[in-house]
Amino acid sequence: MKLLALLIKKDLKLELQTKESLSAMLIFSLLTMVSLGLALGGEPANGAVLSGLLWITFLFTSLLGLNRTFFYEKEEGCLEGLLLAPIDITHLYLSKVVSNFIFLSLMEAVVIPVFLLFFSGGSVNLFTGGFFLTLILANLGLSIIGVLLAAISMNTRAKDLMLPLLFIPVIVPVLLAAIKATNIVVLGGETAELFASLRLLLFYDIIFALVAFLTFEYVLEE
Amino acid sequence: MKRGQKLTALRYIAISSILISLYMIFFLAPTDRYLGIVQKIFYIHFASAIIPYLAFLIVFLASAFYLVKKEIFFDRLALASAEIGLMVDTVLLVTGTIFSKPTWGVWWVWEPRLTTSLIMWLLYFGYLMLRSLSEDRLKAKNLAAVYGIVAFVSVPISFMSIRWWRSVHPILITPNKINLDPSMWLVALSTLAAFALLFAYLLNLKMEILLLEEEIAEIKEEMGDTQ
Repeated sequence: MKLLALLIKKDLKLELQTKESLSAMLIFSLLTMVSLGLALGGEPANGAVLSGLLWITFLFTSLLGLNRTFFYEKEEGCLEGLLLAPIDITHLYLSKVVSNFIFLSLMEAVVIPVFLLFFSGGSVNLFTGGFFLTLILANLGLSIIGVLLAAISMNTRAKDLMLPLLFIPVIVPVLLAAIKATNIVVLGGETAELFASLRLLLFYDIIFALVAFLTFEYVLEE
Repeated sequence: MKRGQKLTALRYIAISSILISLYMIFFLAPTDRYLGIVQKIFYIHFASAIIPYLAFLIVFLASAFYLVKKEIFFDRLALASAEIGLMVDTVLLVTGTIFSKPTWGVWWVWEPRLTTSLIMWLLYFGYLMLRSLSEDRLKAKNLAAVYGIVAFVSVPISFMSIRWWRSVHPILITPNKINLDPSMWLVALSTLAAFALLFAYLLNLKMEILLLEEEIAEIKEEMGDTQ
Protein backbone atom coordinates (compact mmCIF):
# COMPACT_ATOMS: atom_id res chain seq x y z
CA MET A 1 0.00 0.00 0.00
CA LYS A 2 2.85 2.33 0.91
CA LEU A 3 4.63 1.28 -2.23
CA LEU A 4 1.58 2.08 -4.31
CA ALA A 5 1.34 5.54 -2.75
CA LEU A 6 5.02 6.07 -3.51
CA LEU A 7 4.58 5.10 -7.16
CA ILE A 8 1.60 7.44 -7.54
CA LYS A 9 3.54 10.24 -5.84
CA LYS A 10 6.37 9.71 -8.30
CA ASP A 11 4.02 10.13 -11.29
CA LEU A 12 2.35 13.20 -9.83
CA LYS A 13 5.68 14.81 -8.95
CA LEU A 14 7.05 14.24 -12.44
CA GLU A 15 3.97 15.76 -14.00
CA LEU A 16 3.75 18.72 -11.64
CA GLN A 17 7.39 19.57 -12.29
CA THR A 18 6.96 19.86 -16.03
CA LYS A 19 3.17 20.12 -16.43
CA GLU A 20 3.75 18.89 -19.97
CA SER A 21 0.80 16.48 -20.24
CA LEU A 22 -1.69 18.62 -18.40
CA SER A 23 -1.02 21.81 -20.36
CA ALA A 24 -1.05 19.90 -23.65
CA MET A 25 -4.33 18.24 -22.66
CA LEU A 26 -5.95 21.56 -21.81
CA ILE A 27 -4.92 23.26 -25.03
CA PHE A 28 -5.96 20.21 -27.02
CA SER A 29 -9.39 20.12 -25.36
CA LEU A 30 -9.80 23.79 -26.24
CA LEU A 31 -8.88 23.01 -29.84
CA THR A 32 -11.37 20.14 -29.91
CA MET A 33 -14.10 22.45 -28.63
CA VAL A 34 -13.23 25.06 -31.26
CA SER A 35 -13.50 22.36 -33.96
CA LEU A 36 -16.85 21.23 -32.57
CA GLY A 37 -18.04 24.82 -32.46
CA LEU A 38 -17.07 25.31 -36.09
CA ALA A 39 -18.75 22.04 -37.06
CA LEU A 40 -21.97 23.16 -35.39
CA GLY A 41 -21.72 26.40 -37.36
CA GLY A 42 -23.24 28.55 -34.67
CA GLU A 43 -26.20 26.25 -34.09
CA PRO A 44 -26.88 25.59 -30.40
CA ALA A 45 -26.17 22.03 -29.25
CA ASN A 46 -29.38 20.71 -27.75
CA GLY A 47 -29.42 18.28 -24.84
CA ALA A 48 -28.80 14.96 -26.56
CA VAL A 49 -26.01 16.30 -28.79
CA LEU A 50 -24.45 18.26 -25.95
CA SER A 51 -23.50 15.21 -23.87
CA GLY A 52 -22.10 13.44 -26.95
CA LEU A 53 -19.88 16.42 -27.76
CA LEU A 54 -18.71 16.66 -24.16
CA TRP A 55 -17.62 13.02 -24.07
CA ILE A 56 -15.94 13.24 -27.45
CA THR A 57 -13.88 16.12 -26.07
CA PHE A 58 -12.96 14.00 -23.04
CA LEU A 59 -12.16 10.94 -25.13
CA PHE A 60 -9.81 12.74 -27.53
CA THR A 61 -8.12 14.63 -24.73
CA SER A 62 -7.68 11.51 -22.61
CA LEU A 63 -5.68 9.96 -25.47
CA LEU A 64 -3.03 12.64 -25.08
CA GLY A 65 -2.50 11.86 -21.42
CA LEU A 66 -2.61 8.10 -21.94
CA ASN A 67 0.04 8.30 -24.64
CA ARG A 68 2.39 9.88 -22.11
CA THR A 69 1.64 7.29 -19.41
CA PHE A 70 4.81 5.30 -19.88
CA PHE A 71 6.88 8.08 -21.47
CA TYR A 72 9.50 8.43 -18.74
CA GLU A 73 9.60 4.72 -18.07
CA LYS A 74 10.30 3.95 -21.71
CA GLU A 75 12.45 6.87 -22.85
CA GLU A 76 14.64 7.19 -19.79
CA GLY A 77 14.90 3.46 -19.15
CA CYS A 78 13.14 3.64 -15.79
CA LEU A 79 10.98 0.66 -16.68
CA GLU A 80 13.85 -1.78 -16.27
CA GLY A 81 14.55 -0.25 -12.87
CA LEU A 82 10.94 -0.60 -11.83
CA LEU A 83 10.75 -4.17 -13.07
CA LEU A 84 13.94 -5.09 -11.24
CA ALA A 85 12.77 -3.47 -8.02
CA PRO A 86 10.78 -5.69 -5.66
CA ILE A 87 7.48 -4.21 -6.78
CA ASP A 88 4.40 -6.21 -7.57
CA ILE A 89 3.66 -5.55 -11.21
CA THR A 90 -0.03 -4.95 -10.43
CA HIS A 91 1.11 -2.10 -8.17
CA LEU A 92 2.75 -0.49 -11.15
CA TYR A 93 -0.46 -0.89 -13.14
CA LEU A 94 -2.63 0.45 -10.32
CA SER A 95 -0.40 3.47 -9.78
CA LYS A 96 -0.70 4.36 -13.46
CA VAL A 97 -4.49 3.98 -13.35
CA VAL A 98 -4.69 6.28 -10.33
CA SER A 99 -2.38 8.94 -11.77
CA ASN A 100 -4.23 8.89 -15.08
CA PHE A 101 -7.52 9.13 -13.22
CA ILE A 102 -6.23 12.22 -11.40
CA PHE A 103 -5.00 13.88 -14.61
CA LEU A 104 -8.29 13.16 -16.35
CA SER A 105 -10.29 14.61 -13.48
CA LEU A 106 -8.12 17.74 -13.34
CA MET A 107 -8.54 18.24 -17.07
CA GLU A 108 -12.32 17.77 -16.83
CA ALA A 109 -12.59 20.21 -13.94
CA VAL A 110 -11.30 22.91 -16.28
CA VAL A 111 -12.99 21.72 -19.46
CA ILE A 112 -16.57 21.37 -18.13
CA PRO A 113 -17.14 25.05 -17.23
CA VAL A 114 -15.56 26.18 -20.52
CA PHE A 115 -17.63 23.66 -22.45
CA LEU A 116 -20.86 24.82 -20.79
CA LEU A 117 -19.92 28.42 -21.49
CA PHE A 118 -19.38 27.65 -25.17
CA PHE A 119 -22.20 25.27 -25.93
CA SER A 120 -25.03 25.34 -23.40
CA GLY A 121 -25.88 29.03 -23.42
CA GLY A 122 -25.83 28.86 -19.63
CA SER A 123 -29.06 26.88 -19.46
CA VAL A 124 -27.63 23.47 -18.52
CA ASN A 125 -26.65 22.57 -15.00
CA LEU A 126 -24.13 19.74 -14.83
CA PHE A 127 -23.06 20.31 -11.25
CA THR A 128 -25.14 17.50 -9.78
CA GLY A 129 -24.31 14.37 -7.82
CA GLY A 130 -25.43 12.16 -10.70
CA PHE A 131 -23.02 13.74 -13.16
CA PHE A 132 -20.24 13.64 -10.57
CA LEU A 133 -20.74 9.87 -10.21
CA THR A 134 -20.81 9.49 -13.98
CA LEU A 135 -17.48 11.29 -14.25
CA ILE A 136 -15.86 9.14 -11.58
CA LEU A 137 -17.05 5.84 -13.05
CA ALA A 138 -16.26 6.80 -16.65
CA ASN A 139 -12.81 8.17 -15.74
CA LEU A 140 -12.12 4.89 -13.99
CA GLY A 141 -13.12 2.98 -17.11
CA LEU A 142 -11.02 5.21 -19.37
CA SER A 143 -7.99 4.79 -17.10
CA ILE A 144 -8.42 1.04 -16.52
CA ILE A 145 -8.53 0.23 -20.23
CA GLY A 146 -6.34 3.11 -21.33
CA VAL A 147 -3.33 2.20 -19.20
CA LEU A 148 -3.42 -1.44 -20.30
CA LEU A 149 -3.60 -0.46 -23.98
CA ALA A 150 -1.00 2.29 -23.52
CA ALA A 151 1.36 -0.35 -22.16
CA ILE A 152 0.67 -2.46 -25.24
CA SER A 153 1.12 0.36 -27.73
CA MET A 154 4.35 1.67 -26.20
CA ASN A 155 5.91 -1.67 -27.09
CA THR A 156 5.09 -1.35 -30.79
CA ARG A 157 7.03 0.37 -33.51
CA ALA A 158 4.22 2.87 -34.09
CA LYS A 159 3.95 3.79 -30.35
CA ASP A 160 1.54 6.74 -30.02
CA LEU A 161 0.01 6.03 -33.40
CA MET A 162 -1.24 2.67 -32.18
CA LEU A 163 -3.08 3.72 -29.03
CA PRO A 164 -6.14 5.46 -30.59
CA LEU A 165 -6.67 2.53 -32.95
CA LEU A 166 -6.66 0.06 -30.06
CA PHE A 167 -8.35 2.26 -27.49
CA ILE A 168 -11.37 3.83 -29.18
CA PRO A 169 -13.16 0.64 -30.32
CA VAL A 170 -12.66 -0.99 -26.90
CA ILE A 171 -13.88 2.05 -24.96
CA VAL A 172 -17.16 2.32 -26.92
CA PRO A 173 -19.36 0.73 -24.20
CA VAL A 174 -18.00 3.00 -21.46
CA LEU A 175 -18.39 6.03 -23.70
CA LEU A 176 -21.98 5.17 -24.63
CA ALA A 177 -23.01 4.54 -21.03
CA ALA A 178 -21.39 7.83 -19.95
CA ILE A 179 -23.16 9.73 -22.74
CA LYS A 180 -26.46 8.14 -21.77
CA ALA A 181 -26.02 9.04 -18.10
CA THR A 182 -25.04 12.61 -18.98
CA ASN A 183 -28.04 12.85 -21.27
CA ILE A 184 -30.36 11.93 -18.43
CA VAL A 185 -28.75 14.59 -16.24
CA VAL A 186 -28.97 17.25 -18.97
CA LEU A 187 -32.53 16.46 -20.03
CA GLY A 188 -33.72 15.86 -16.50
CA GLY A 189 -34.69 12.20 -16.76
CA GLU A 190 -35.73 9.87 -13.98
CA THR A 191 -33.32 8.96 -11.22
CA ALA A 192 -33.98 5.24 -11.70
CA GLU A 193 -32.89 5.54 -15.32
CA LEU A 194 -29.74 7.37 -14.29
CA PHE A 195 -28.89 4.66 -11.79
CA ALA A 196 -29.36 2.00 -14.46
CA SER A 197 -26.72 3.72 -16.62
CA LEU A 198 -24.39 4.17 -13.67
CA ARG A 199 -24.76 0.51 -12.73
CA LEU A 200 -23.86 -0.38 -16.30
CA LEU A 201 -20.75 1.82 -16.10
CA LEU A 202 -19.74 0.20 -12.82
CA PHE A 203 -20.24 -3.23 -14.36
CA TYR A 204 -17.97 -2.33 -17.33
CA ASP A 205 -15.33 -0.98 -14.97
CA ILE A 206 -15.33 -4.21 -12.97
CA ILE A 207 -15.15 -6.45 -16.06
CA PHE A 208 -12.34 -4.49 -17.67
CA ALA A 209 -10.47 -4.22 -14.37
CA LEU A 210 -10.61 -8.01 -14.01
CA VAL A 211 -9.28 -8.52 -17.55
CA ALA A 212 -6.55 -5.93 -16.99
CA PHE A 213 -5.42 -7.45 -13.69
CA LEU A 214 -5.20 -10.88 -15.25
CA THR A 215 -3.31 -9.79 -18.36
CA PHE A 216 -1.15 -6.78 -17.45
CA GLU A 217 1.86 -8.78 -16.31
CA TYR A 218 2.09 -10.44 -19.74
CA VAL A 219 2.38 -7.03 -21.42
CA LEU A 220 5.54 -6.16 -19.51
CA GLU A 221 6.92 -9.70 -19.51
CA GLU A 222 10.37 -9.87 -21.09
CA MET B 1 -2.93 -39.02 -44.66
CA LYS B 2 -0.25 -36.37 -44.86
CA ARG B 3 -0.99 -32.81 -43.87
CA GLY B 4 -0.86 -31.50 -47.42
CA GLN B 5 -3.34 -34.16 -48.56
CA LYS B 6 -5.72 -33.34 -45.73
CA LEU B 7 -5.62 -29.70 -46.74
CA THR B 8 -6.32 -30.57 -50.37
CA ALA B 9 -9.25 -32.78 -49.36
CA LEU B 10 -10.63 -30.01 -47.17
CA ARG B 11 -10.28 -27.58 -50.06
CA TYR B 12 -12.39 -29.72 -52.40
CA ILE B 13 -15.00 -30.31 -49.71
CA ALA B 14 -15.21 -26.58 -49.01
CA ILE B 15 -15.45 -25.58 -52.67
CA SER B 16 -18.11 -28.16 -53.48
CA SER B 17 -20.20 -27.29 -50.45
CA ILE B 18 -20.09 -23.61 -51.44
CA LEU B 19 -21.23 -24.57 -54.95
CA ILE B 20 -24.04 -26.73 -53.55
CA SER B 21 -25.20 -23.93 -51.26
CA LEU B 22 -25.16 -21.47 -54.19
CA TYR B 23 -27.33 -23.89 -56.16
CA MET B 24 -29.69 -24.18 -53.22
CA ILE B 25 -29.87 -20.39 -52.83
CA PHE B 26 -30.76 -19.74 -56.46
CA PHE B 27 -32.79 -22.79 -57.41
CA LEU B 28 -34.23 -24.46 -54.30
CA ALA B 29 -35.03 -21.57 -51.98
CA PRO B 30 -38.38 -19.92 -52.65
CA THR B 31 -38.32 -16.32 -53.85
CA ASP B 32 -39.43 -13.87 -51.19
CA ARG B 33 -42.99 -12.61 -51.70
CA TYR B 34 -42.20 -8.99 -50.81
CA LEU B 35 -38.50 -8.53 -51.46
CA GLY B 36 -38.16 -10.71 -54.54
CA ILE B 37 -34.75 -11.76 -55.82
CA VAL B 38 -32.97 -9.27 -53.56
CA GLN B 39 -33.65 -11.52 -50.59
CA LYS B 40 -31.19 -14.15 -51.92
CA ILE B 41 -28.33 -12.16 -50.45
CA PHE B 42 -29.78 -12.91 -47.02
CA TYR B 43 -28.27 -16.43 -47.04
CA ILE B 44 -24.72 -15.12 -47.53
CA HIS B 45 -25.43 -12.35 -45.05
CA PHE B 46 -26.69 -14.78 -42.42
CA ALA B 47 -23.74 -17.14 -42.77
CA SER B 48 -21.22 -14.30 -42.69
CA ALA B 49 -22.87 -12.95 -39.55
CA ILE B 50 -22.26 -16.12 -37.55
CA ILE B 51 -18.73 -16.99 -38.70
CA PRO B 52 -16.96 -13.84 -37.33
CA TYR B 53 -18.29 -14.55 -33.83
CA LEU B 54 -16.91 -18.08 -34.10
CA ALA B 55 -13.60 -16.79 -35.47
CA PHE B 56 -13.19 -14.17 -32.75
CA LEU B 57 -14.15 -16.67 -30.06
CA ILE B 58 -11.27 -18.81 -31.37
CA VAL B 59 -8.97 -15.75 -31.20
CA PHE B 60 -10.02 -15.20 -27.59
CA LEU B 61 -9.53 -18.81 -26.50
CA ALA B 62 -6.27 -19.24 -28.41
CA SER B 63 -4.92 -15.99 -26.95
CA ALA B 64 -5.72 -17.11 -23.41
CA PHE B 65 -4.16 -20.53 -24.01
CA TYR B 66 -1.08 -18.90 -25.52
CA LEU B 67 -0.53 -16.71 -22.46
CA VAL B 68 -0.88 -19.67 -20.11
CA LYS B 69 0.90 -22.41 -22.06
CA LYS B 70 3.25 -20.33 -24.25
CA GLU B 71 2.81 -22.78 -27.12
CA ILE B 72 3.35 -21.16 -30.49
CA PHE B 73 0.54 -23.22 -32.03
CA PHE B 74 -2.05 -21.12 -30.18
CA ASP B 75 -0.45 -17.91 -31.39
CA ARG B 76 -0.70 -19.08 -35.00
CA LEU B 77 -4.30 -20.15 -34.45
CA ALA B 78 -5.22 -16.72 -33.03
CA LEU B 79 -3.60 -14.79 -35.86
CA ALA B 80 -5.07 -16.97 -38.60
CA SER B 81 -8.55 -16.89 -37.07
CA ALA B 82 -8.46 -13.10 -36.62
CA GLU B 83 -7.47 -12.54 -40.22
CA ILE B 84 -10.17 -14.77 -41.68
CA GLY B 85 -12.76 -13.55 -39.19
CA LEU B 86 -12.05 -9.98 -40.28
CA MET B 87 -12.44 -10.99 -43.90
CA VAL B 88 -15.86 -12.60 -43.26
CA ASP B 89 -16.86 -9.59 -41.16
CA THR B 90 -16.09 -7.45 -44.22
CA VAL B 91 -18.42 -9.67 -46.28
CA LEU B 92 -21.06 -9.21 -43.57
CA LEU B 93 -20.81 -5.42 -43.69
CA VAL B 94 -20.85 -5.28 -47.49
CA THR B 95 -23.80 -7.68 -47.92
CA GLY B 96 -25.54 -5.89 -45.04
CA THR B 97 -25.39 -2.49 -46.74
CA ILE B 98 -26.47 -4.01 -50.07
CA PHE B 99 -29.39 -5.79 -48.37
CA SER B 100 -30.27 -2.71 -46.33
CA LYS B 101 -30.90 -0.34 -49.24
CA PRO B 102 -33.86 -2.19 -50.84
CA THR B 103 -35.35 -3.36 -47.52
CA TRP B 104 -34.96 -0.33 -45.24
CA GLY B 105 -34.42 2.30 -47.94
CA VAL B 106 -31.05 3.43 -46.60
CA TRP B 107 -27.53 2.02 -46.87
CA TRP B 108 -26.72 2.26 -43.20
CA VAL B 109 -28.60 2.54 -39.90
CA TRP B 110 -26.90 3.15 -36.55
CA GLU B 111 -28.50 0.17 -34.98
CA PRO B 112 -27.02 -2.31 -32.44
CA ARG B 113 -26.14 -5.17 -34.76
CA LEU B 114 -24.72 -3.03 -37.54
CA THR B 115 -22.79 -0.85 -35.14
CA THR B 116 -21.43 -3.85 -33.25
CA SER B 117 -20.30 -5.49 -36.49
CA LEU B 118 -18.51 -2.30 -37.51
CA ILE B 119 -16.86 -1.90 -34.10
CA MET B 120 -15.85 -5.56 -34.24
CA TRP B 121 -14.28 -4.92 -37.64
CA LEU B 122 -12.31 -1.97 -36.20
CA LEU B 123 -11.24 -3.98 -33.14
CA TYR B 124 -9.74 -6.80 -35.15
CA PHE B 125 -8.26 -4.49 -37.74
CA GLY B 126 -6.45 -2.93 -34.77
CA TYR B 127 -5.44 -6.42 -33.66
CA LEU B 128 -3.86 -7.19 -37.03
CA MET B 129 -2.14 -3.78 -37.14
CA LEU B 130 -0.76 -4.43 -33.67
CA ARG B 131 0.69 -7.72 -34.90
CA SER B 132 2.37 -6.15 -37.89
CA LEU B 133 3.74 -3.13 -36.04
CA SER B 134 5.36 -4.84 -33.08
CA GLU B 135 9.11 -4.65 -32.67
CA ASP B 136 10.10 -7.81 -30.88
CA ARG B 137 8.68 -11.03 -32.39
CA LEU B 138 8.20 -12.88 -29.13
CA LYS B 139 6.88 -9.85 -27.27
CA ALA B 140 4.49 -9.13 -30.12
CA LYS B 141 2.77 -12.46 -29.49
CA ASN B 142 2.14 -11.54 -25.85
CA LEU B 143 0.79 -8.09 -26.72
CA ALA B 144 -1.48 -9.49 -29.41
CA ALA B 145 -2.77 -12.18 -27.05
CA VAL B 146 -3.69 -9.60 -24.41
CA TYR B 147 -5.46 -7.45 -26.99
CA GLY B 148 -7.19 -10.53 -28.41
CA ILE B 149 -8.70 -11.10 -24.97
CA VAL B 150 -9.64 -7.44 -24.33
CA ALA B 151 -11.22 -7.08 -27.78
CA PHE B 152 -13.41 -10.14 -27.35
CA VAL B 153 -14.62 -9.04 -23.92
CA SER B 154 -15.68 -5.68 -25.35
CA VAL B 155 -17.75 -7.17 -28.21
CA PRO B 156 -20.76 -8.43 -26.18
CA ILE B 157 -20.79 -5.40 -23.91
CA SER B 158 -20.66 -3.08 -26.91
CA PHE B 159 -23.71 -4.89 -28.20
CA MET B 160 -25.45 -4.53 -24.85
CA SER B 161 -24.65 -0.85 -24.54
CA ILE B 162 -25.91 0.02 -28.00
CA ARG B 163 -29.17 -1.83 -27.42
CA TRP B 164 -30.99 1.09 -25.89
CA TRP B 165 -31.46 2.43 -29.37
CA ARG B 166 -34.53 1.00 -30.95
CA SER B 167 -33.55 -1.82 -33.25
CA VAL B 168 -34.91 -2.14 -36.77
CA HIS B 169 -32.93 -5.27 -37.48
CA PRO B 170 -35.24 -8.30 -37.65
CA ILE B 171 -34.76 -10.98 -35.02
CA LEU B 172 -34.82 -14.41 -36.63
CA ILE B 173 -34.87 -16.61 -33.59
CA THR B 174 -37.04 -15.81 -30.60
CA PRO B 175 -37.62 -18.23 -27.72
CA ASN B 176 -41.12 -19.02 -29.06
CA LYS B 177 -40.74 -19.31 -32.79
CA ILE B 178 -38.49 -19.01 -35.79
CA ASN B 179 -39.42 -16.14 -38.08
CA LEU B 180 -38.45 -17.73 -41.35
CA ASP B 181 -39.98 -20.15 -43.83
CA PRO B 182 -38.74 -23.74 -43.13
CA SER B 183 -37.41 -24.20 -46.67
CA MET B 184 -35.52 -20.92 -46.36
CA TRP B 185 -34.11 -22.12 -43.07
CA LEU B 186 -32.76 -25.26 -44.66
CA VAL B 187 -30.92 -23.19 -47.27
CA ALA B 188 -29.68 -20.72 -44.66
CA LEU B 189 -28.27 -23.48 -42.47
CA SER B 190 -26.68 -25.23 -45.46
CA THR B 191 -25.01 -21.98 -46.46
CA LEU B 192 -23.78 -21.58 -42.92
CA ALA B 193 -22.35 -25.09 -42.99
CA ALA B 194 -20.62 -24.35 -46.30
CA PHE B 195 -19.17 -21.14 -44.88
CA ALA B 196 -17.97 -23.02 -41.80
CA LEU B 197 -16.17 -25.53 -44.03
CA LEU B 198 -14.62 -22.73 -46.06
CA PHE B 199 -13.56 -21.06 -42.81
CA ALA B 200 -11.99 -24.32 -41.59
CA TYR B 201 -10.08 -24.69 -44.86
CA LEU B 202 -8.81 -21.10 -44.92
CA LEU B 203 -7.86 -21.34 -41.24
CA ASN B 204 -5.79 -24.45 -41.85
CA LEU B 205 -4.23 -22.95 -44.95
CA LYS B 206 -3.27 -19.73 -43.15
CA MET B 207 -1.80 -21.69 -40.24
CA GLU B 208 0.25 -23.74 -42.66
CA ILE B 209 1.56 -20.53 -44.25
CA LEU B 210 2.45 -19.09 -40.84
CA LEU B 211 4.27 -22.29 -39.92
CA LEU B 212 6.30 -22.13 -43.14
CA GLU B 213 7.06 -18.45 -42.53
CA GLU B 214 8.41 -19.28 -39.10
CA GLU B 215 10.58 -22.06 -40.53
CA ILE B 216 11.96 -19.68 -43.16
CA ALA B 217 12.72 -17.09 -40.50
CA GLU B 218 14.54 -19.74 -38.46
CA ILE B 219 16.59 -20.91 -41.45
CA LYS B 220 17.49 -17.32 -42.27
CA GLU B 221 18.65 -16.77 -38.70
CA GLU B 222 20.78 -19.92 -38.77
CA MET B 223 22.34 -18.91 -42.07
CA GLY B 224 23.02 -15.45 -40.66
CA ASP B 225 24.83 -17.05 -37.71
CA THR B 226 27.16 -19.19 -39.81
CA GLN B 227 28.16 -16.46 -42.24
